[in-house]
Amino acid sequence: MAKAKVAFFDFACCEGCQIEMTNFGDAAFLELLNHIDIVEFREAISEKTTEPIDVALVEGSFTREADRARLEEIRRRAKIVIAFGQCACTAGINALKNHQKDYKECVYGKDAKMPHLDSAQAQPISAVIKVDYSAYGCPVNKYEVLQIVSHLLHGKAPVVPNHPVCVECKRRETVCRYHEGDHCLGVVARAGCGAPCPASGIPCEACRGFVDQPNETALKKVLKEKGGLSERRAEEKTLMFTANQRGATTAKHPEKSPALAAPQGGRS
Amino acid sequence: MQEQFLADKAFEPFLAKLIAAGPVVGPVGKRSQFVFAPLRSPAEARLDYDVTILPPKKLFFPPAQDLVRFDGDKVEGCIEPVAMVVFGVHPYDVKALDMTDLLFKERNEDRNYLAHREAATLVAMTPQKASSRAFWGSIGTGVEPKGHDALLTKVPGGWIYEARTPKGTALLKHGDFASATKEQSSAARKAGLDAGRKCSANLKHPAAAVAHRMKTVFKDEKLWNGLAEDCFSCGSCNTVCPTCYCFDVQDRWNLDQKSGTRTRYWDACLAEDFSKVTLGANASENFRETKGERFRHRFMRKASYLNEKLGGPACVGCGRCSAACTADIADPVRVIDTIMGRPS
Repeated sequence: MAKAKVAFFDFACCEGCQIEMTNFGDAAFLELLNHIDIVEFREAISEKTTEPIDVALVEGSFTREADRARLEEIRRRAKIVIAFGQCACTAGINALKNHQKDYKECVYGKDAKMPHLDSAQAQPISAVIKVDYSAYGCPVNKYEVLQIVSHLLHGKAPVVPNHPVCVECKRRETVCRYHEGDHCLGVVARAGCGAPCPASGIPCEACRGFVDQPNETALKKVLKEKGGLSERRAEEKTLMFTANQRGATTAKHPEKSPALAAPQGGRS
Repeated sequence: MQEQFLADKAFEPFLAKLIAAGPVVGPVGKRSQFVFAPLRSPAEARLDYDVTILPPKKLFFPPAQDLVRFDGDKVEGCIEPVAMVVFGVHPYDVKALDMTDLLFKERNEDRNYLAHREAATLVAMTPQKASSRAFWGSIGTGVEPKGHDALLTKVPGGWIYEARTPKGTALLKHGDFASATKEQSSAARKAGLDAGRKCSANLKHPAAAVAHRMKTVFKDEKLWNGLAEDCFSCGSCNTVCPTCYCFDVQDRWNLDQKSGTRTRYWDACLAEDFSKVTLGANASENFRETKGERFRHRFMRKASYLNEKLGGPACVGCGRCSAACTADIADPVRVIDTIMGRPS
């Protein structure tokens, strides 16, 4: 089989997820290049492509109508589209503006009226195009991205956790933030990061978004009763990464997801 | 075998010699709590611990355990047991290990667990403290802890060491032991009997009555949905449980895309995806879709399904699930009280 063509694209984001991939260093990348062709990757190479691609890793949220055509064009060219990073998956931090009116004045002051600052509600890219798989996180977990790509190369569906961060804290015997009088969003946050924040004494902020079925009512209860947050803080606490997921069950994975290679046996 | 006495002043040198002789894992402090970890010095051991975050099961069946390494068509097993001394295990955890020993032995022997388990010397210890959620004094009282190689008990002026197997006897050479006097032996027996009274929580209902009642309330959806209302499906109760033994198996490829590792990870039946199964290409079904069903399943497993096989409930009363549950709905004492108090 010819090497899979892989391209990175970016929309409303900081491109930190692309940068995170460059943190693998050249040794890992050179090895990986024996198996894939990276044909577009703005943070690392100058080349661009208008050719068909096998895997499109799309970073950033959809927040300008003008971006619709480009997203659709990427979808038409790509066999597989992966929402790459939390902005693409749920609109991430960008979605914070969705429930605020004065954000432009707050951020840009006297320059708030500049026309290029006009944008609509921040939405995940799945609002515009079909997404096959998601690489969650702010930034993405680069090891997980590598496994997602590996699984696709071997004709297997990538495995992304749908259990809360608590599982990963317990596995590494992190003393629970709630046991130290703190609060934490780990109980509703999608795992897959390895829970580094609570292990360093920092509450989980749910940067990979919610699990598919977060118990938001119980979350508010423990944030108030155990975490000591006020009613309003408890209500607002989860907005940072999950503003678009509040009160709604997370979008399910699509019914049919394409594969790069024919499924193989247990190993190859 | 005759019980041995080790004076307080001889204890540190004994543990130091054990550590010098090979890896020793024991309870150590971690922030406000305790974990089993390799001891670098006797001073690190916190034998006054109440309970550890994870049970000693993790030493034989770790949260992530490599099963096989593959490279193209070449496959090799990853069973590389380390002969270690596990020091200071409380009797409730000994009971739990005895259960996982049995469960991993039945039908297909699970060598990945058993090889590690067999390579270890288990030194149990009569608890000096009980955690606030512990109820090991009142559950499975008819089930004797077994499977440990020695039992250590603090008595005035020193420790009583009771070797139960040749592996336990072999450790005696590392310490300045003397035959225990009658008084010392009876002090140790008394400490063992008194230990259960350290628990502030108590299960009032006999195991057989609970097991029976579980079956009669199985279909009471209102009960289970009510008990599970605040459940986060986070699986913390499973993950810290000393008798949970379910796992998920995943493959990971190395960068060369040819070699890699097949690894098993602890799984949790309270988590939503545990009961999700494939129905063919891209279709799936969840056979325990609601949190009430998943919550019920854990209690059926702990208080009913395995009782005959294990000779008692598959719960040893360590209280870890009660403490780990952020919503505080997992406590078996409270749940069983609710179920037993419910009109049938």
